[in-house]
Amino acid sequence: MQHFTHQLELFPDCSVTLVLFNDVKNAVALRKKAMEGSIDGALINPAMIVDPLQILVATNKAVHLHRIGKMKTRTLNAEIIFNLSPNNNISDALKKFGISDNDSAVLIVLIEDKEKTVNLESIISQVEGQQVSLAELHKITDIAKVKKMYRLTPQEEKIGTLLDGIICRMSTKDIA
Amino acid sequence: MAGGAGEAGACAVSPPPLRGLQLVQQGAEARLYRGQFLGRAAVVKLRFPKRYRHPALEERLSRRRTAQEARSLLRCRRAGISAPVVYFVDYVSNCIYLEDIVESTTVRDYITSVQQSGKDTNNLFLLAEKIGEVLARMHDEDLIHGDLTTSNMLLRPPVEELDLVLIDFGLSFMSGLPEDKGVDLYVLERAFLSTHPNTDTLFEALLKKYSTTSKKSSLVIKKLDEVRLRGRKRSMVG
Repeated sequence: MQHFTHQLELFPDCSVTLVLFNDVKNAVALRKKAMEGSIDGALINPAMIVDPLQILVATNKAVHLHRIGKMKTRTLNAEIIFNLSPNNNISDALKKFGISDNDSAVLIVLIEDKEKTVNLESIISQVEGQQVSLAELHKITDIAKVKKMYRLTPQEEKIGTLLDGIICRMSTKDIA
Repeated sequence: MAGGAGEAGACAVSPPPLRGLQLVQQGAEARLYRGQFLGRAAVVKLRFPKRYRHPALEERLSRRRTAQEARSLLRCRRAGISAPVVYFVDYVSNCIYLEDIVESTTVRDYITSVQQSGKDTNNLFLLAEKIGEVLARMHDEDLIHGDLTTSNMLLRPPVEELDLVLIDFGLSFMSGLPEDKGVDLYVLERAFLSTHPNTDTLFEALLKKYSTTSKKSSLVIKKLDEVRLRGRKRSMVG
């Protein structure tokens, strides 16, 4: 099954892997494992994601801040989720972009660098659900919810895609 | 961004490690690179430290300009003005990673080539009006570009569609003052007329469209007239 991996250009030792699951039955347990740290990944609600680039932008920024010790949250995984949000409210971000107890789809973001290797099989085996290719993401995305969250203006939609608007907000929210 | 030569032996600021990285331009303020970033064609603007500045001042100034640029780009887009998408801002090295408008042509090059070929000259008037319209909308958002030249305006391919993109907001700021908007237009006027000979009527068309598009234009144009009288080699007698 297709997972998606990208090596971060600015941090060549660091690679990001995205794994998408549908028909997930154990969201509650997964959340717990993520919070305890037995799953070292960011568990994201894929309904809020329109394209893997959205995750890459959030992750790149998170790794950058992590490396200079300037993260806004306490862990790299939380920082990735926080960076997806168009605003600076951490708990709101974790709630809206992280997974909830009754979610049936989960997107897991795994970071691998020289200090940490990722055991993909182990992660996949812990999810009671069907791993699907990232190409299926668009079927899971809730466009209306995404538009509401990011509040793109009508003028903005004329000059670019939804993804463009999302990325702009993510990358400039700290000085907007 | 001035296209002049950069400082001799400019500082050991290493370029970002992007794939296919190429130096596009060395300006007075910053270096521009092209490369692939997160799977997209990107442009990186790296503001390098100026050694002649006091380090504390340098740090603050570079950071402020970087932040202002990013902020202005977002403001433009929110108002429906085409400007590059911001992918990432690095406040440590004062680098902005932006969308690369692939195979674009600067308005400067377009005007020059049309004038040389003599074809489609009517398009120049449409272009002038397009520019006037975009600037009016920008000023109505109280956004001052700060460095309006025909090199800071791009046309996406195909050029004939006149799909205008504004770039280089490094000197931009927010202001509602007609004076600031007037000066913004004056900077463009001087750059325009000196770069492109025999374009007075073209620029007039630009201003006309600006006036009809912007709700606050009359005061701005009035200020523009005043600023013109103040310019270099102008006598302020009487």
